[in-house]
Amino acid sequence: MSLEIDHVTKRFGRTVALDRLAFEVGRGEVFGFLGANGAGKTTTMRICLGIIRADAGEVRWEGRSTADLPRRTWGYLPEERGLHPRMGVLDQLVYFGSLYGLPPDRARREAIAWLARFRIPDYADRRAEELSKGNQQKVQFIAAVLHDPEVLLMDEPFTGLDPLNLVLLREAFMELRDRGRTLIFSTHQMESAEALCESVAIVDHGRLVAGGRLRDLKRASGRRTLRLAFDGDPLPAWLAGLPGIEAVRGGAAGAELELLPTADPPAILAAILARGAQVTRFDLAEPSLEALFIEHVGRPSDDDPTLAPSLPVPSVSAGGIA
Amino acid sequence: MARRDPLLPNAGIVARREYRDRTRSRMFVGSTVVLALLAMLVAIGPIAARYLDRQTVTRIAVVAADTELAKSAVSVADALLNVPPVGAAEGTWKKPYQVEVADDAAAAEARLARGGLGGIMVLQRLPDGQVDIALRTTEGPNSARSQILSVAAFGIGVLDWSARLPPDASREIFRPPAYRVESINTATDAGTPLDSRQAASRYLLGIVFVILLLISIVIYGMWVATGVAAEKSSRVMELMISAASPRQMLAGKVVGIGSAGLTQYLAIAIPALVLLGLQDRIATAVLGPDWIAGAPLGGLSPALLLGYGVFFLLGFTLFALIYAAMGSFVSRPDDLQTLSLPLSLVAMVGYLIAIVALGGGSGTLVRLASLVPPFSPFVMLARLMVSAVQPWEILLSVGLLVAAIAVVAVVATRMYAAGVLLYGQRPGLRAFVAAARRA
Repeated sequence: MSLEIDHVTKRFGRTVALDRLAFEVGRGEVFGFLGANGAGKTTTMRICLGIIRADAGEVRWEGRSTADLPRRTWGYLPEERGLHPRMGVLDQLVYFGSLYGLPPDRARREAIAWLARFRIPDYADRRAEELSKGNQQKVQFIAAVLHDPEVLLMDEPFTGLDPLNLVLLREAFMELRDRGRTLIFSTHQMESAEALCESVAIVDHGRLVAGGRLRDLKRASGRRTLRLAFDGDPLPAWLAGLPGIEAVRGGAAGAELELLPTADPPAILAAILARGAQVTRFDLAEPSLEALFIEHVGRPSDDDPTLAPSLPVPSVSAGGIA
Repeated sequence: MARRDPLLPNAGIVARREYRDRTRSRMFVGSTVVLALLAMLVAIGPIAARYLDRQTVTRIAVVAADTELAKSAVSVADALLNVPPVGAAEGTWKKPYQVEVADDAAAAEARLARGGLGGIMVLQRLPDGQVDIALRTTEGPNSARSQILSVAAFGIGVLDWSARLPPDASREIFRPPAYRVESINTATDAGTPLDSRQAASRYLLGIVFVILLLISIVIYGMWVATGVAAEKSSRVMELMISAASPRQMLAGKVVGIGSAGLTQYLAIAIPALVLLGLQDRIATAVLGPDWIAGAPLGGLSPALLLGYGVFFLLGFTLFALIYAAMGSFVSRPDDLQTLSLPLSLVAMVGYLIAIVALGGGSGTLVRLASLVPPFSPFVMLARLMVSAVQPWEILLSVGLLVAAIAVVAVVATRMYAAGVLLYGQRPGLRAFVAAARRA
């Protein structure tokens, strides 16, 4: 009962886009598909949809090859945002719904309900070209889910949305998941992925470098992050000299220490207290998804525009102030 | 591909959207109205021309030292140039040509230079008795007026010669011979050959039909090509390719845009045809009964209209598919301009052969081109209008056309699918051909 990406290989000329990529997405899961630009995410989605064919390997949904599945199994939100510019929003949604086999009156009802849900009911009769980019994106999302597909593939669904719309979209994700739909999305926003996904796959250069339940991945990495705050100097120089510390970052709220797998938190706390520092926060956390991503894919260089910057993430707390 | 890929209903849904998208735009409505008005103007153009011509009388001056010779020249030219149309009332009909003896040769020359004369016939008797005639005119030697006056010159010579023969009471008076053309390659209507007026009407209609076909193919074919290329390079393609197969999208586009083109075509052609059909009545009302020059639609029959419809639709479909394939091949709509030229030239060749066929040409080239696509829609249309065509020729022509459409449809779909597969890339020809084979 799942989507299986079974050792899929795809070449474009001399470029190997996918190299025996293999992972599995459980039915009813929200799944994050992560990787730098050019890692092969879009290619994988297109192979799932049957738009392009793999050179080797196969994609199966519930045991059936995608070639045998009807198109309406899938909903697809492409990364390139585009609608028919001169066509009205509602007409457009009914059009896409009809192509997926929805009767026009039902497509119309569903579309109106979705537009209301995304707080753009007044735009139903506007031409697509009159809408802002963010609103066009919401219309595109509706076009992808209108026919209630079993699997929803989304390429960068969050880019370009303001915080309010981001919340609306996340809520929609959760509701679709609760209805048993399977959601797979690629994103560079680690925060969103962390908040939504139970499982992720991290790909790099067409190969899977990490995959599985997020919780398991975090545990397996053995890395932890220690957040500290002091009265006085927020970032004392001696922090880097403490035992078991890999890296030290200064944040607005205090210091953030990346711990080596061998580090012993109580010993670190003892060492800090021995320095006479007034500790106001001692928070031991599992590594953020961003840290995991960087661990597997590598840190983007400063001039690399392909990775969107993301903020440090407050994650599940594994410890408290000692 | 294992996935079932039925054309309907998606091709129909795509076609309906394409059709509405085009026909509902203000540009479409505006240009259709303007073009329809222009076509109606053209349709009543001949009446307007004749209305203006009604006032005009062409004057021909005859200059000769020999008064008798000048008089006989005037009477022969007058008889040849001023033939009243059939059914003209004697009281109201006016002669379009006025032929008179000019007393002063220099004054006549001056009038000719000013444009006051259509021509001057200068007659001289040579020492051996032969009559020498020079037509001084602003027109060329092949103009209709020059040629009919050359016949007049011959008539003047014959009359002059017979007048100088010794009188002979037993001789019969001169009667001009009856003359008509019997062409064995003339189109027939229900078995009877067409009369000259019907034939003239068919010739005219043939030219109109062939030109209309050429224009529709070039203009609306380009619509199809642009529509295909534009969507292929537009970002909405990403949403479309997961919703419909390339086959469905291409079929929908060709049918939808083609129908939009045909809608405009009919909106332009029907009012103009109605006006043409009424031309005689309008002419009678405006110009009086003497100006009837024959009904322009007189040669038309339901069978011919049907033939026109069939060859027009098949020809249009064939070219629309070729244009669609072209649209699939280019990666940017700008490249279409370059690629469309050779295709327009192919259509133009068909058009030119059709014009030869309309002029009565029935050589091997014409007969062959009337059977072989993509020229057959033009040339067979022309042959149907003006000459006798065997039933098997029509059947063969239609059959070959349908077969060509099927082949081009398959090729165009593959090219379109390849264009979709290589979406976002700028493929070389080799990559494109490889993708088209896999598609």
